[in-house]
Amino acid sequence: MHTGAHAGTREGMHIYDYSTDAVLIERFKEGDEFAFDLLVRRYEQKVYQLAYRLTNNPDDAADITAEAFLRMYNSLKRFRGEAQLSTWLYRVVSNVFFDFRKREARHQHLPLEVPDEDEELVELPVPDESVDILGHALQAEQSRVLMEAIQKLPEYQRVMVILFHIEERPYEEIAQIMNLPLGTVKSRLNRARNALRQLLEPYRELFEAESCPTTEEPQEADDALRASQERVERAD
Amino acid sequence: MRCEQVKSVLNELIEGTLSEPMRQQVQRHLELCGECQREFRLMQGIWRGLSAMPEVVPPADLHARIMTHVRANTRLREAQPRGGLFRWFGAAAAAATLFLMGFFVAQSDGVQAAFGFGGKRKPTPELAQPVRAGIFVEYRTTSNGARLPVLLARMNREMQAELRYTPPEQPNATPVLLWQGTLQAGRTVEIPLQTLLQSVQGRVVTLHWRSETQSSLLFMPVGYPRAKVASVRLQAKLGDALRQLASLYQAPIEYAAGCSEPLVVLDVQEATLEEALRQLLVGTGCTLVREGELWRVIGP
Repeated sequence: MHTGAHAGTREGMHIYDYSTDAVLIERFKEGDEFAFDLLVRRYEQKVYQLAYRLTNNPDDAADITAEAFLRMYNSLKRFRGEAQLSTWLYRVVSNVFFDFRKREARHQHLPLEVPDEDEELVELPVPDESVDILGHALQAEQSRVLMEAIQKLPEYQRVMVILFHIEERPYEEIAQIMNLPLGTVKSRLNRARNALRQLLEPYRELFEAESCPTTEEPQEADDALRASQERVERAD
Repeated sequence: MRCEQVKSVLNELIEGTLSEPMRQQVQRHLELCGECQREFRLMQGIWRGLSAMPEVVPPADLHARIMTHVRANTRLREAQPRGGLFRWFGAAAAAATLFLMGFFVAQSDGVQAAFGFGGKRKPTPELAQPVRAGIFVEYRTTSNGARLPVLLARMNREMQAELRYTPPEQPNATPVLLWQGTLQAGRTVEIPLQTLLQSVQGRVVTLHWRSETQSSLLFMPVGYPRAKVASVRLQAKLGDALRQLASLYQAPIEYAAGCSEPLVVLDVQEATLEEALRQLLVGTGCTLVREGELWRVIGP
């Protein structure tokens, strides 16, 4: 019986298992459009998530997602499998995002990026004292403030922070996605963290709290932190 | 160590990439310096907050939006079935002129459920023997205990065949091609379906099975235990009602559609499938025949 993750031939009949990217890509190259449909289904959530975090806007995120898959469709036939498809897709999404921002800046005549860390940083709104900062509300508020702060970062820093800290991609993969040397990724990411920290200065108390008393997230967050540390160790 | 030096390496301290002597120096400084301690807590809080960001839920129409964009800008189009695809009850009027395809049901250890509805075709003089096709589903248990569905198909002579899929959330969408190939007489082809089913939320998968001029629909129950008795209350067209019963009882039901499709009402408590079916068919003129595990409903 055939349950393996490969395409095969059985008694003159072609049998395809659509469970791996490699088979789907191969099928797509042979003209099977359903394989493309399945690839989209497999990655659309991940792609949308990254796009949403880059833009903090559901419409823009959906547009970027659609454009990223269009680019995938147009260039998948040249995909040689040297990187994971997900890595390659992250790169496509980042590039679409950069193009999107350039176009947006042209149309709106707004500065493309806020000044880097050495220059004056744009201030975020002052925290609302009436917000309930316990438990889930604390975490929700942290997430909201973080998303706003991330949007203030220069594009490259924003992509790096999101890929490393939120999407939890290792340094090596970010280096592939951004097409940068590993050392450059690390130093730029450090600058991005420091920029983020400056932006969050007005929210110091929100982040200094040692734990969120009514949620289970602290443990999860600690686990995630440990996972980050492990990724770092692997990169070294 | 000075505060500035300590603050410049806090990210590395959190990452755990500082050398051991350096880490000890920084730790000693942190124990004595309240300002740096606060700074460390802030950085830690930011790292933790980033790691705990909630998942983003995409909009329900995201897939359609992507595919529309891709289709609008490329030659990709929804695969159109060759000729007229047999449409469930829409084809009922033409059914009288067609003959019923064969229907196979597998029911053994490891076989969960299978059911389908016979398509019909006009007899063509050039065919020496009528084509008989079968489709059913087996669940295979892997070494790690996972159960993987496999669609099996058989024909009684060599022919080209194809399988198309309609997403449950878009029942009116043009079915997309899932598989195509050559079937050979007396041989069974296996088509793994786990990838497809992973993305299916609904209770029944609708697959369109087509071979040459014939086609049929396969409603494949997924992931529910078989019901022995059930309480059912429904009002629907006969075909839809049968589909619901097949899903509820996880049992194969073949429906040979007649020229009309009556509206039926069913309200039974703790009924077996046979009791429910018999109650459902009262007044429809349909007859119920049991062939092994298969329930066959024949129109008037």
